[in-house]
Amino acid sequence: MNSKTMSKDLFGDKRMGFFIYLFVEAVMFATLFATYLIYTPAPQGPHPSEVFEVKTVVLASIFLLLSSGTLMIAEKGLDRRNIKMILTGLLITFTFGAIFMYFEVHEFYTFVTEGHTISTNNFLSSFYVLVGLHASHVLFGLFWMIVLLIQRKLLPYNLFKEKHKIFNYYWHFVDIIWVGILIIVYIPYLI
Amino acid sequence: MQFYLFGDLIVLPTDVIAAWVSVIIGAPLVLYWFTKKRYWPVVWDFATSTNHRKIGMLYIIFALLFFFRAGIDALFIRMQLVTAENEFWVFQGDKYNEIFTTHGTMMIFFVAMPLLIGLMNVAVPLQIGANDLAFPFLNAIGFYLFLTGGMIFFAAFFFNAAPNAGWTAYAPLSTYEFTSGPNNNYYIFGLQVSGLGTIFAAINMIVTILRLRAPGLKLTRMPLFPWASLITSFLILVAFPVLAIALLLLQFDRFYGATFFIGEMGHPVYWQHLFWIFGHPEVYILALPAFGIFSDIISNFSRKNVFGYTSMVIALALIGLLGFMVWAHHMFTVGLGPFANTFFAITTMMIAVPTGIKVFNWLFTMRRGVIRLQTPMLFALGFIPTFVMGGVTGVMLASAAADMQYHDTYFVVAHFHYVIIGSTVLGAFAGLYYWYPKMTGKVLDDKLGKWHFWLFLIGFHLTFFPQHLAGLNGMPRRVYDYTWEDGVFVYNFISTIGAFLMGASMLFVLWNIYKTHRTKEENVGPDPWDGRTLEWSVPSPVPEHPFEKMPVIDRRDALWWAKQEGRSLPVADHPRASPIAVRTVQPLVLSAALTILSFGFIYGWVWMQILGGAASLGFFLLRAFNDERTEAYRKEEQDDE
Amino acid sequence: MKKLAMMAVLLVLSGCNLRVLDPKSQTASDQAFLIYLSFGIMMFVVLVVTVLFIGFTWKYRETEKNRYDTPKHEEGNRTLEIIWTVLPIILLIGLAIPTVMITYDVSDIGATSDETLHVNVTGEQFRWTFEYENGKQTHKNLVLPVDQEVVLHLTSNDVIHSFWVPKLGGKIDVLPGEENQMKITPNEEGTYQGKCAEYCGTLHTDMRFDTEVVDQEEFQQWLEE
Repeated sequence: MNSKTMSKDLFGDKRMGFFIYLFVEAVMFATLFATYLIYTPAPQGPHPSEVFEVKTVVLASIFLLLSSGTLMIAEKGLDRRNIKMILTGLLITFTFGAIFMYFEVHEFYTFVTEGHTISTNNFLSSFYVLVGLHASHVLFGLFWMIVLLIQRKLLPYNLFKEKHKIFNYYWHFVDIIWVGILIIVYIPYLI
Repeated sequence: MQFYLFGDLIVLPTDVIAAWVSVIIGAPLVLYWFTKKRYWPVVWDFATSTNHRKIGMLYIIFALLFFFRAGIDALFIRMQLVTAENEFWVFQGDKYNEIFTTHGTMMIFFVAMPLLIGLMNVAVPLQIGANDLAFPFLNAIGFYLFLTGGMIFFAAFFFNAAPNAGWTAYAPLSTYEFTSGPNNNYYIFGLQVSGLGTIFAAINMIVTILRLRAPGLKLTRMPLFPWASLITSFLILVAFPVLAIALLLLQFDRFYGATFFIGEMGHPVYWQHLFWIFGHPEVYILALPAFGIFSDIISNFSRKNVFGYTSMVIALALIGLLGFMVWAHHMFTVGLGPFANTFFAITTMMIAVPTGIKVFNWLFTMRRGVIRLQTPMLFALGFIPTFVMGGVTGVMLASAAADMQYHDTYFVVAHFHYVIIGSTVLGAFAGLYYWYPKMTGKVLDDKLGKWHFWLFLIGFHLTFFPQHLAGLNGMPRRVYDYTWEDGVFVYNFISTIGAFLMGASMLFVLWNIYKTHRTKEENVGPDPWDGRTLEWSVPSPVPEHPFEKMPVIDRRDALWWAKQEGRSLPVADHPRASPIAVRTVQPLVLSAALTILSFGFIYGWVWMQILGGAASLGFFLLRAFNDERTEAYRKEEQDDE
Repeated sequence: MKKLAMMAVLLVLSGCNLRVLDPKSQTASDQAFLIYLSFGIMMFVVLVVTVLFIGFTWKYRETEKNRYDTPKHEEGNRTLEIIWTVLPIILLIGLAIPTVMITYDVSDIGATSDETLHVNVTGEQFRWTFEYENGKQTHKNLVLPVDQEVVLHLTSNDVIHSFWVPKLGGKIDVLPGEENQMKITPNEEGTYQGKCAEYCGTLHTDMRFDTEVVDQEEFQQWLEE
């Protein structure tokens, strides 16, 4: 077997497989978006505009969207085999992701303390399921970045590069979903 | 059975006791038998393998196991319905509801799906010249997810908590307010876990078919079973995530006080939409692979190429596409209004056109051929009229106003058994007999196979044909009793006789397998059926990485033409890299973690949920640092330097 | 053998008065017409397939003579393929048009006059409640006057049920929190079985009622009892 093409062939397989997986995730989120649209605003209980808070949403969005940009630093480093760039990119992305998570938790916490729980009305139910599922994706991404940092030390570079690239796709995807959430969940009720 | 234990009244239904007793007696016997025959190394070999043939066989073995379980449920149903005002054992009221729910769910998700996915696993890579599926490790994960989901669902009965809201789990009946026990939690988690496995299997299949084909095997030269598998996998990609979210929403309704499907703000009909957006494509997910199997078998046993290949592929794709536009034909009586009803009626009727094209192409594949009536072909021949009968009742059901009469009656029960057994089950049997040599190196006995076929087919028609009439005479589905005045006794009585014939036919399968493996017959060689497609060019049972010499394909049925011209297929110089196999117990770890997690949710034990969640994350860590490609990549890097 | 023959005879005989095909209202007649029409069209399809199937299987089966023959390669046949694409489309159009018309007809639920009788139907686990305009309530029997238009207003107190009187027409689901309507005009006196057709829990089987269609006078009398 021609070993030089192996990592290329297998990475191609994996990339296609992972893109298909992201498509599956996209269908799941699409279903949740549909659910949200059907149930919002609810005929009773709080209206979204009474619940959402501009400041948290804006700050959370800034950090999450920026983190997609900072991940590009790591991507550049990956191609140039520049460990410093990779580490810098990953660490900044991780920090921004963590800050986003802070705002998410803060938002959920504020809502609950204000009495807007999951069983308050159907708008809030679908909101929590949709945004909560997204937040758990971000959380998983943070966990994944820690794993990546360790993998860099233990795995051959090509394999690490492959795993890192797969993570990049994931993180960008999670970002795109957030844009969807902004457009469908928040913006109609904040403007 | 009732007794007092420490002053508490304990009520144990006798069917649950019987189940436990049979397990307590049966399990040691099986363990003893395995030990005596020294099967444990084989079991371990299969359990830790990532080879597509072995995983495919595991899928089929467990699907058959579940088939017997769900089949016995069906016999209980038929026993309860054998005569009017009957009381068979405990199967009235809730127990009956549990048993038809289990029968339906299990047959669809844990029998039909894995039988087909198992056959895809065995045959598709070989038919396209791939050394394995693209992601062998993921394939093992997918199988264990199916098995875990199946076992969770299977276990419900042993804890006297079998799901009882029907396989469609219509809300609000399936919400906490109306079925508060753990019963329907088993449904949610059994399907959720196995559904994820199905999604992984589909991803694997698509990447394998799109990227791992032998050189020269263009998509337009591919046999029809891989084609059907490809299209089916795309259907899975869209259908199963919708089911996953529907189940998630139901879970939130049941556990966390959300009201998606219940209460003043909830829409119970939304559940039906979500369920059928998944559920109708699911029907084609079951049917299309069977169509593929039949196409290959009919062509092979008529010694002729497939008639109208291009239109066969287009028809497959059209059926798949239209499959997403017809879901509301399950909801004609909900009151969606005449516009929606007629729209979905017409899209449903349109499906008959590509299906008809396929039927005629099969018939004309046989024309001017030489038809060998061996067992796989018999099943294919039995399929054509059976499936056509199911298809025409399908068109009758599509007629929306008339469907208001058929809906939720035994007419519908008859219809979907005609299509699903007619295509999927007959297809799986045909495939099983056809590819058995590829799995084991032996051919199943033809005579016993014919017994199986005829008993099954006659039993099938006896069971389900009268149900059309019972439905037209006003018998709703999912009832455990009827009166003499209902005038459906005769139909039900015949039905029960048929069901037992089908049950008896399955014993021939067991006997056949036993008989085939008892004698140490010689290996049948690579090509017992004088095949046309690539899988018949490699040894039986197929070894790991059979295409070390990668064939080059220059036309459809290349193997057949090479045989005709007395030459062998040319070999490629620089084939692409093959997937890397590994021996691993990691899927077992994931399986254990998800079992803990699921039971934590089913019984609402938070500590167990946390434990299971942590264990699942632990699995990701385990996997992250145990990648089978590490060594290969390291070697590659050294070679580069 | 004798028993089997008896069974077959019974089967055929009982086929003659299947409830769905024994309509006692215009709606049910329309639906029965659709059933017969679709059955007829479909039997034609079944016949064609069966003839081809039996013919080909018999004619081209393996025999001593052709055992070693190699059939000719045959890609397909454009004309034939067009025929079996177009012909089903024509047949289906023949079914689709009446389907659309009748579906619109049976979905027309508005009351046509002040004479129309309105009955509130409530489904709950596991009984029906029929409430007339004067407040009279029944559970086991729905009494209707013959030849008079009736609009049923159906709703559920708990899970989904489905209201079905096979001889008077197709079923309509009974949903919690929503009202579905159904219009029927029974045209023959008699007692017809009614059932819940949507699985609704433990005693779904027992959720049955009788529909008694009586003449006007008797109905008025009954209503005032």
